Amino acid sequence: MAETKTFRAGVFSVVKHCYLPRAVAAHPRFELVVVTDDADQPDWVHERNQKFADEFGIPYVRDVAKAIAEYDLDMAAVSPEAERHCDLAVRAADAGLHVIADKPMSTRLSECDRLVEAVQRNDVKFLLWNRNYLPAVVQTKEAIDSGAIGELQAIHVDFYFSKNAGPPKGSRAEGDPPINWLDRQMEAHADGSDGGVGKEAMGELEIEGIYPLGYIHMLTGQNVQRVFARTATHFHQANVDNDVDDLATVSLELGGGVVGSLCIGRIGAASHPDIGEIKIHVIGSEGGLVITEARPEVSIYYRDQPPLEFKNERIANENDFLLMDDFARALDTGSEPILNAKAGRDIAATVFAAVESGKTGQPVEVDC
Amino acid sequence: MIRLALISSAETAQAYGALSTRLHRAAWTAFAPLDSGGSGQALGQVTEATSAEELFTNQADVFDAVVIAADQATAGRLAKAASSLGKPVLAGAAGSNLTALGQADSLLMPAHPWRFLPSIQSVKRSIDSGKLGQAGLLRIHRWLPPGADVESQAERILPDADLACWLFGSAPESVWSLQSAANPGYIQFHLGFANDGMAMIDIAASLPSGGDYFSLTMIGGTGAAYADDHHNMNLLYSGGQPNAIRTSQGRADLAGQLQEFVDAISEQREPSVTPTDTATAVAVVEQILESADNRQVIGGKEGN
Repeated sequence: MAETKTFRAGVFSVVKHCYLPRAVAAHPRFELVVVTDDADQPDWVHERNQKFADEFGIPYVRDVAKAIAEYDLDMAAVSPEAERHCDLAVRAADAGLHVIADKPMSTRLSECDRLVEAVQRNDVKFLLWNRNYLPAVVQTKEAIDSGAIGELQAIHVDFYFSKNAGPPKGSRAEGDPPINWLDRQMEAHADGSDGGVGKEAMGELEIEGIYPLGYIHMLTGQNVQRVFARTATHFHQANVDNDVDDLATVSLELGGGVVGSLCIGRIGAASHPDIGEIKIHVIGSEGGLVITEARPEVSIYYRDQPPLEFKNERIANENDFLLMDDFARALDTGSEPILNAKAGRDIAATVFAAVESGKTGQPVEVDC
Repeated sequence: MIRLALISSAETAQAYGALSTRLHRAAWTAFAPLDSGGSGQALGQVTEATSAEELFTNQADVFDAVVIAADQATAGRLAKAASSLGKPVLAGAAGSNLTALGQADSLLMPAHPWRFLPSIQSVKRSIDSGKLGQAGLLRIHRWLPPGADVESQAERILPDADLACWLFGSAPESVWSLQSAANPGYIQFHLGFANDGMAMIDIAASLPSGGDYFSLTMIGGTGAAYADDHHNMNLLYSGGQPNAIRTSQGRADLAGQLQEFVDAISEQREPSVTPTDTATAVAVVEQILESADNRQVIGGKEGN
């Protein structure tokens, strides 16, 4: 059997749902060796980092430079608050480490640009976490690539997450203070709905938009050039209080004459029996394709079932493993990961353009 | 008992004839063909006129109300003639030519059969009952084979523009549309309603000949409704990959629409679909096409 290198990974902060470093640890080609973060982080950050380090029996080092210097790392798994994603990733890249970073890429396009430049300058690999290897998404790509529907002309992704996000809209009593975004996100850690953790409030477009736009990017091979969006706070008081969307519709004009759309929302647990209604619609010159992203799944119902437990369980989901396989392949062969820094940056640009369009009510050119 | 006359093709008469036993407080009593040699036999024992004009001139005493199933121009002309006789009219295809008749004293109900599909009725009831909370997002995908039933893009768009206005209870405040350079049968429109309501609708008349596809999602503040062909497909195995076969909603749309027409006459009330509704939908269609042509947002925050 040929000898293959096991890549040593440092966990650069792990403050929200920790699927990313867990996926790294679960793949046989990777090994977690240290958790690290900056010493000046607040106590709750250190607590979460320490807890993760303890679970995996690895040290927690409150000094990123020291961890890089002392642990012979090949790569960093970056998963802090969204506003720190790029900074930690750039520092890792500047140390010559390959990087896997959680979504969203950043809360600022300038930070994304800084990361793209650092990845290129240091000639390292970067993977932005995504769902492009879900079985139904892979099936979509295979159907398109087979030519079954001819030339791709239009693509639509409906992406409604049915998780709750704190008190419903309209629930704040007169005189009560507005909900603090970070407090709410920290509270949401308990049920894993803290995808927007950070000091800066983010709407659903910013938090989850990377996933459907990642599908569109992969399936069309095109960048979005212009958007027109409507955004609203329709469901959750935290989004109202922090003036960020929880429902959005975006028209997309892509390269190659492809048109598309994205509908996205955090629609609440009452609105769907599972994690949400997530579908991909593709129109080609020779036909159309309708894909439910959750499939394959198994339905499970039983007496005294908790009301918020999903009744349909996704199965054969190897997204995490395949992402890590993809990254290992990139490190072995020099190929580009399935969603690299430039693609992630361009998707972030689409998101920011959509947010701007939602505010101005006008179409916005995407800075790609 | 309300006596109904039908002016239609023989094929449509077959469809309406099949509904005869479902109809309450009404019966077919007269038929006039639109096509030569058309017969109203499917309606049972009815007075058959040779043409709509002959029906209005010589047989006006054998019916109380008229159902006209014709193209826009013909329906408008015949509806006007029937209205001048004081006869209530159910007329389709709905279009701008009907809206001018809205001021007539007699009842005029434009045909909007898409509203009466069981799936759409179910969604509407869930909104009206308050189960879904405030309407937030209407998402429609409608894909058709080329040339299916309608002649123009405006006609193709009208049902979904109407559904959006009906489900949100008003006309949109802003309109944005996109077309595809590669696919002239494609249009996407993006409507903004009061209270941050939004509709995103894509229509493609470019499927290969055969079945169509329709999916409607309404997401409200406290719930959501999904009327989706994808959910309602069964499987047929006949070698190779299985084929999806859609479960049918029958012609409940026609039956529901006709009964509403009859009930409105019986109860001497306005029908649930009025010429004003058609006029609103027609105006929205015009805005959709205007936005697609000039790539500008119509209405909305422009100039703010």
